Amino acid sequence: MNVLGISCHFHDAAACLIRNGKIIVAVQEERFTRQKNTSSFPINAVNYCVQGGGITFDDIDCVAFYEKPFLKFSRFVIDHLRAWPFSCENFLQTTPHWLQDRLILPLTLEKEIGFKGRVFFVKHHLAHAASAFLVSPFEEAAILTGDAVGEWATMTYGQGRGQNIRIRKEIHYPNSLGLVYTALTTYLGYAAHEGEGTVMALASCGKPRYLDQLRAIVKVNADGSHVIDERYFGFNKGAKMYSRSLVKMFGSERMPGDKVEERHCDIAASLQKFTEETLLTITRHVRRETKLDKICLGGGLFLNCVANSKILEDGAFKEIFIQPAAGDSGGALGAAAYAQHCILKNPREHAMRDAYLGPDYSDALIQRLLLNHNMAFDAYTDDALSVSVAQMIADNKVVGWFQGKMEFGPRALGNRSILGNPCHPHMKELLNDKVKRREPFRPYAPMVLEESAHEFFELSVASPFMLLAPKVREDKKSVIPGVVHVDGTARVQTVGKAANPKLWQLIKDFEGITGVPIVINTSFNLRGEPIVCSPEDAIASFRRSAMDHLVLGNFIIGRQG
Amino acid sequence: MTIETRTICKRCVLPESRPDVWLDAEGVCNICRTYDQQKDGRSRTKLLESDFVKILSQHKSKGKYDCLVMCSGGKDSTAALYYMKKRYKLNPLAFTFDHGFETEGALENIRNAVEILGIDFLFFKSDFMKEMFLEIVKTDEKVALCHPCSIWYMGLTFEMAARYDIPLIVAGWTRGQVSQQPLASRCADKVHGSEFISMSGATQAFLDKYTRQNPKYKDFPKSMEEVVRLAGKRHKATVVSPHWFLPTDSGEYVELLQKELKWKFPPQSYPGASTNCSLNFLSVHNAMRHFGYTHYHVEMSKMIRESLLSRQEALKLLEINFGDEVLRDVMQKLSRAGGK
Repeated sequence: MNVLGISCHFHDAAACLIRNGKIIVAVQEERFTRQKNTSSFPINAVNYCVQGGGITFDDIDCVAFYEKPFLKFSRFVIDHLRAWPFSCENFLQTTPHWLQDRLILPLTLEKEIGFKGRVFFVKHHLAHAASAFLVSPFEEAAILTGDAVGEWATMTYGQGRGQNIRIRKEIHYPNSLGLVYTALTTYLGYAAHEGEGTVMALASCGKPRYLDQLRAIVKVNADGSHVIDERYFGFNKGAKMYSRSLVKMFGSERMPGDKVEERHCDIAASLQKFTEETLLTITRHVRRETKLDKICLGGGLFLNCVANSKILEDGAFKEIFIQPAAGDSGGALGAAAYAQHCILKNPREHAMRDAYLGPDYSDALIQRLLLNHNMAFDAYTDDALSVSVAQMIADNKVVGWFQGKMEFGPRALGNRSILGNPCHPHMKELLNDKVKRREPFRPYAPMVLEESAHEFFELSVASPFMLLAPKVREDKKSVIPGVVHVDGTARVQTVGKAANPKLWQLIKDFEGITGVPIVINTSFNLRGEPIVCSPEDAIASFRRSAMDHLVLGNFIIGRQG
Repeated sequence: MTIETRTICKRCVLPESRPDVWLDAEGVCNICRTYDQQKDGRSRTKLLESDFVKILSQHKSKGKYDCLVMCSGGKDSTAALYYMKKRYKLNPLAFTFDHGFETEGALENIRNAVEILGIDFLFFKSDFMKEMFLEIVKTDEKVALCHPCSIWYMGLTFEMAARYDIPLIVAGWTRGQVSQQPLASRCADKVHGSEFISMSGATQAFLDKYTRQNPKYKDFPKSMEEVVRLAGKRHKATVVSPHWFLPTDSGEYVELLQKELKWKFPPQSYPGASTNCSLNFLSVHNAMRHFGYTHYHVEMSKMIRESLLSRQEALKLLEINFGDEVLRDVMQKLSRAGGK
């Protein structure tokens, strides 16, 4: 049984192939088109699902889509009618997209891939719930989903048991914690669906002085449900997601590229604090209602690793699972998993242990590329490569590390990564200068050997998908200054030997040289671009940056190349 | 056998051969430079397997056969045949043309493939072209023998497609040979750009003159464009190759063919790792003498630019792997046939 999951038409288009319950391939369309967060029908990703999955288009038994388009369209129409005539321009701009793409998926599937079989439409938040629970290692768990908006739901909770999911309650649009976060992200001058992580980082630089104002415009009930004051927002009225009332309350908005002022940091801090408080109220309520001590979190809201850590530290739940593509790209996975287990009633047998579900490239192909690009390179055995790269990192070199299968989800988890030395006090500046050109307040993340994580971080569980931000232990802060954020936390990825033996060995070798079982990991991309997918992408990024070395498979390319 | 040594482009394997191919101060040819200039636009229009599936569904056959597969017994055309039957579950008709110089190895590959796959097979053997081949060789015309041959083979294929009412012709062309649509109009001479101008011009000039003088060949098409134009009047068939759409490396499908279809490389063929006819040795020899390169150099250069082949691999494959004795044998066979 081959189930193809698809998410597209809004942002983070992706496709996923599940065969007999096992995730075979999952990949975002942006990696192929090189257009970040692309929303277009994921034709490249679907092609890769077929070819990478070793099947033909005829072998696809059914397709699962990550939302119910007509239900979503009803919200779109009703919402715009409510706001008429102010929503007129937005309505006229958006309606053609609905008619041309969003409402006709079966026709698109037939036209694009010749598929005429069954198509299951899974509610957006149910897809998130499925992506969180059905691939988790838990037999039974509470489920909480949250993002900007699906069809009507913006947040849901329920529980999963075996192969069944039951949603108990939903919060509906326009009451959305996710939309509030995104609206204020744009107010602070960062792009929607992209800049939320930057705002999360900015939050650590400020004080939550605007918490009362936020509480005034978003009323939170005792169970965590919330009602927004629509006068402060404008989700359907045009270019801006916030109104003049919000600008009056917080002061003038920041334009992209403007200087970040203390006020902006404080607003970000208030937003983050408010989000964490609200989520904690909700998770405590979910704990009381479900009486379960494990929870699965899904939806873009739970890419907020600081809030995730607060949920874990709160202790309402003993265990927490968040799959790496918690945002809408993961909807493709969720829809496919839901169809496989909940609709077609196939048992759950496989938990998602790693995110390495994308394309990989052989050393033979890489060598051919290097030769054709006239790049000087040295070939290594696995062991020699690991020792050499570890030494480079220890020598404070910035290394592009391209190995094996590409990760699914927004994070690079050690196969499409840029690596650095966490012990160097100025490594952040070095990485920013040489490659990333990020805002100076944004931290870089550590990858730590799973077995050593607790020595450096206040972390009692594994964090294989970099979705937790625990505190760095006080006595270790001076050891790894390159990864300690201003609030004393770090966005940790724990690396297990079974999940990624080559990466594990590299960190182990780095530990052998420096005594520290940690390297810096940042995604292998230049600013504004998607993470690299192919060796060609990696070579292009390497050439346009000042990275010291590029490691493609078992080949090391120096800057002189 | 002596062939003039020429300076080769540093990026691909084309030698300097003015006026069509020239190297700049950095030793890079004009074809590679043009490729660089157009690269951004090309990467956006990469062909996907789903595009191929679309073409297949647009060309549903009303008759017995879904497609006509041009099968030479080489790895690429045998793989195309395999894909049409196994991967796309179509009912293909295999078609092979033998001008009298196909090797026993190639023919055995075809027989094995159609037998194992259970495919109907049309085999057309004719001496019709031999006189023309002999004329080219005897008069030392600057014509690659493969060009008129491919023109005739393509014409025959269109005729067969018309006879069996087949809407789709499938070839085993690699992305180095042809890769753009519209398909049929781009399958040979003049379509590759400046690296083929002299070669195709010489072929057309020869055919213009020779077919006028020789009544036997009075209806022989002068170019591939003419073949396509004439075919279109009778029966419209689209020509396509699965290799343009599939990311599979030839090494992978050779392994598959060897395992599943008892496919074998012949003891000797040019270029390396190919299964070309014995007349090809003569064609290559003449093209090298007259132009300094062959259509294989053009194909492999294109594959290098697309990173489907390394320059080192291409240079190795393109090394002349036959001597005067082979050429003498082919000449003798040709003379015998021409003398009949």
